[in-house]
Amino acid sequence: MVTLFWLQTGACGGDSLAILGAESPSIEQLFSSHGVELLWHPSLSHQSMRLHDEVIERILSGELTLDILCVEGSIVTAPRGTGLYDSYKGRAKMEMVRDLAAQAGVVVAMGTCAAYGGVNAAPPNPSDCVGLQFDGAQPGGLFAEGWRSRGDLPVVNVAGCPAHPHAMTQTLAWLATGLPLPLDEINRPVSHFNTVVHQGCTRNEYHEYDIEDLEPGGRACLFFNLGCQGPLTHAVCNSDLWNGVSSKTRAGVPCFGCTSPDFPRDADLFSTEKIGEVPLRLPLGVERPRYMAYKNLARAAAPQRVRDKKMEP
Amino acid sequence: MTRLEVNLELNRVEGDLTIGVTLEDGVVVDARTVGSLYRGFEQILMGRSPRDAMVITPRVCGICGTAHLYSAVLALEQAWNLPVPPNATRIRNLCLMAEGIQNDLRQSFLFFTPDFCHTRYRDHPLYDKLMADFEPFKGVMHRETLLMTRRVLEIVAHFGGQWPHSSYMLPGGVVTPPDARKILACRSVLDEIGAWYEKRIIGASVDEWLALDSAKDLFTWLEKPGPADSALGLMSQFTRSLDMHRLGAGTPHMISFGAWCDPVSWGPPYNTHLSPSGFYDGDTRQLSSLDQGLINEHVRHSWFRPYTGGLHPFEGETVPDYQPGTDRYTWAKAPRYGDKVVQTGPLAELFISGDTLIRDLHDSEGSSAWLRQFARVRRTAVELVRAREMLDELAANLGEPHYISSSPDAEVDGQGCGLVMAARGALGHWVKIKDGVVEKYQIVTPTAWNASPRDSNGELGHWERSLIGLRVQDPDDPIEVGHLIRSHDPCLVCTVHFLETGKRVRFAP
Repeated sequence: MVTLFWLQTGACGGDSLAILGAESPSIEQLFSSHGVELLWHPSLSHQSMRLHDEVIERILSGELTLDILCVEGSIVTAPRGTGLYDSYKGRAKMEMVRDLAAQAGVVVAMGTCAAYGGVNAAPPNPSDCVGLQFDGAQPGGLFAEGWRSRGDLPVVNVAGCPAHPHAMTQTLAWLATGLPLPLDEINRPVSHFNTVVHQGCTRNEYHEYDIEDLEPGGRACLFFNLGCQGPLTHAVCNSDLWNGVSSKTRAGVPCFGCTSPDFPRDADLFSTEKIGEVPLRLPLGVERPRYMAYKNLARAAAPQRVRDKKMEP
Repeated sequence: MTRLEVNLELNRVEGDLTIGVTLEDGVVVDARTVGSLYRGFEQILMGRSPRDAMVITPRVCGICGTAHLYSAVLALEQAWNLPVPPNATRIRNLCLMAEGIQNDLRQSFLFFTPDFCHTRYRDHPLYDKLMADFEPFKGVMHRETLLMTRRVLEIVAHFGGQWPHSSYMLPGGVVTPPDARKILACRSVLDEIGAWYEKRIIGASVDEWLALDSAKDLFTWLEKPGPADSALGLMSQFTRSLDMHRLGAGTPHMISFGAWCDPVSWGPPYNTHLSPSGFYDGDTRQLSSLDQGLINEHVRHSWFRPYTGGLHPFEGETVPDYQPGTDRYTWAKAPRYGDKVVQTGPLAELFISGDTLIRDLHDSEGSSAWLRQFARVRRTAVELVRAREMLDELAANLGEPHYISSSPDAEVDGQGCGLVMAARGALGHWVKIKDGVVEKYQIVTPTAWNASPRDSNGELGHWERSLIGLRVQDPDDPIEVGHLIRSHDPCLVCTVHFLETGKRVRFAP
C-alpha cells in the first residue's frame, strides 16, 4: 500500500471539493483499486483529531512510512516569517509542511496556491503567501529550488484553481504505481499539462476566422477582447471536460490561466491588453508579424455563418 | 469542582476550527470559537477592476463559490443600477440550488453522520444500522452521496463550465443562454437525484414529505415503514436518542436574506425573493422585514483596530491589531443585526419563509442541533422542486435574453450590496467603487454570523452560546461538541479574516 496524508494550509478547500468530482478514477477508487491508503484528509477522515496527531507523530518518528504528502493551499508565512497566521495548536502550518515533507516519498502541490502561491498571494499578498517550491514564477518558495523529496523528486505541481479533478486523481494513481512521472519546466506532470485550454474549445471556429466577441454572453471567441488565456494556458479543461460535461470557455467564461504561476494576473481579468488590434500576449510561441498576417487573411476567408455568429459553441 | 480549560480541534468543518471551552465537572460553562487562518481576501480586491470580484470572490470558499459569485454580481448590479433579464436569474437560481443540494447532501452524509459510527456508540441499539448506512466509504449513504453530489454539479457545469470556481454570472446576466440540450441534460440529473432522495433519504414521495405541516403528523409519519427506514428516519431516531433535539439552541434570533431572487420581478430596488427574507426576534416572537442597514460588525474581542460599537459593512474597516494575552481572542469580527446575536442557515431560511412544519417544530421544541440538521434535509426537497420550476420556466422562455449589455458609462462610482441565502445561510458582499476601481470590499459570511465571537456588549456568539451547558465525556475526543458544531454546517474557510493566535486563549474573568 502507498500511504497518503493530505494537509490543508491557506486554502479554500476547492481542490478537496473538486477531487470529489473525479470519476476516472474517483477518489474512492484510489483507495479501493489503486493501492492508496488514506492516512488523513481534513474533510474525509472521520476519526478525531487525536488520531490525526498520532499519525503525524508516527510519521515524524519514522514508525509510519509516508509515501505521498498532498498539500492544498498557499504557504502562509506572515507575520514576519513566522507563519502563525495559519497555525495548528500553536504551530505554524508552514513548519508542519516542512516536517512532513522531510519524511515524504513525494510531495504533491494540489492546486495553484500550493504550487505557486495563487490567489492568496495576489497583491498586496496580505498574509505573505508563497508556493511550496515556487514564489509565483520564481523558483524557490518554502523549499529551495534544489530541494528533493526522499524519492528524489521536486514538489510535483498539480496546478489549477482548482486543479482539474483528473489531474489530481490520475497523478496520484500514477505515483502509486511507482513508475516515473515526467515533469515540465515548472514541475507540473507532463501528462496533464501538455495541451493548451484552447485545444478542444468549441469556440475554435470563431478563433480560427478571427470573429471576436466584444462583450460577454455571446458565441464567438473570447481571446481578442475578453481576456481569455486559453491559447496560452496548459491544462486539460477542454480535452477532459469538467464535471464530465463542459468547460469555462465552452460556456462562455474566459480562461483566466489558473494553472499558471502568475494567476491571477495583475490586470483587468475580463479584458485583453492589446497593441493596436492585436493582443499583447499571443498564443504560445506565435510570432507577432506572422500572426497579424494570418489573422487578416483568416478574417477575409470567414464564412458568412461564422461572421454572423450563427454557430453554437 | 473540577475546572478545565481546553482547546478542542475539529475536522470535517471546511477549514480549521479551534473551540476553546471551559468545563466545570465536564459541563461547558464558557466557550469561544477561534478560526485559524487569515487570508485577507477583502484587501486583495482593493484597487482592482470591480468585475474581478467575479473571479476572486468565488475562491473564498471551495464549497459555496456559486453563492459568493451570486452575491458579488448582485452587489455590482445594485451599484450600477442594472436590470437583470429573467432567464439570467433563473439560471443563477438553478445553479445556486444545485450547489445547495450538493452542499446539504455532503454536509449531512460526509461530514455530519460519520460521527455516528464512533466506537462510543458500539452498544447503541441502532449501531449496526448506522454503520451500514453512514460508515465512510463503506456505508450506503456515504458511497451514494459521493456519486449523487458528483452528478448534481453537472448542472452548474452546463451553464457555468465547471464547478467549483467559475465566473459565469456577470453584471447584467449570465454568459450562456438556455437551450434544449442543456435543459434536458439538467432535467435528467434532477430526475435521478430526486428519485434517489425519495428512495434513500426520506423513504416517501417529495410531495408527501413537503405536505407534512405539523410536528404531530411528522412524528407519526416517521414511524411508517419507508420513512422509518430512511436515512432521515435513522438520523432522527439516533440524534433524538442523544437528546439533540434539546441541545444547542444558541441564540433565539434568526435572519434570512431571502432565498433566490424572483426572476420576473427582480430589478431595482432588488428585494423580491421566491422565499422571503426577514428577521425573527426570538424574544418578542415577531417577524419583521429585513433592513440591511441594521447590520453591523463589532471588533471589541477581535484583533482589529478598536472602534466603538459596531460598524455597518459599507463603513467597515479591517485594520489588524494583534493583541495576544488580552481579552481579544480572535481575528473573526462579530456581525450583529440591530446589535442582536442571530443565527442563520436552513432552519432560519425555512422558518422565515413560512414552512409550517418547521415553524410548528420550532414552536413546540425550540431551536436545536437536531432541528437544524432536519431543516437541512428538508430544504433539499425544496431545492429539488424549485430547480425543476426554473428548468420549466427556462424551457417556456427560450430565446428570451440571458444578458443585457450596458454601456461603460453605466459603470459609475458608487456602492452596492449583494445579499443571498447560501447553503449555510445569509451571505452578503458590500462594495464601494471609486475612480472605477474597488475602494472597499466587505464580506459577511454565514459562518461569520454563526461562529462570531463576543461583541461590544459581551454577548456570546451563536455557536459559543449553543455550547453552554453541554456535557463533554472525553475532552480528548469531544464527540458531543462535534455533533453540535457540525449541525451548524460550519465553514471556516469562509470566515475570510479569521486568524488563530496559535496560543491558548485565556479570558480575564
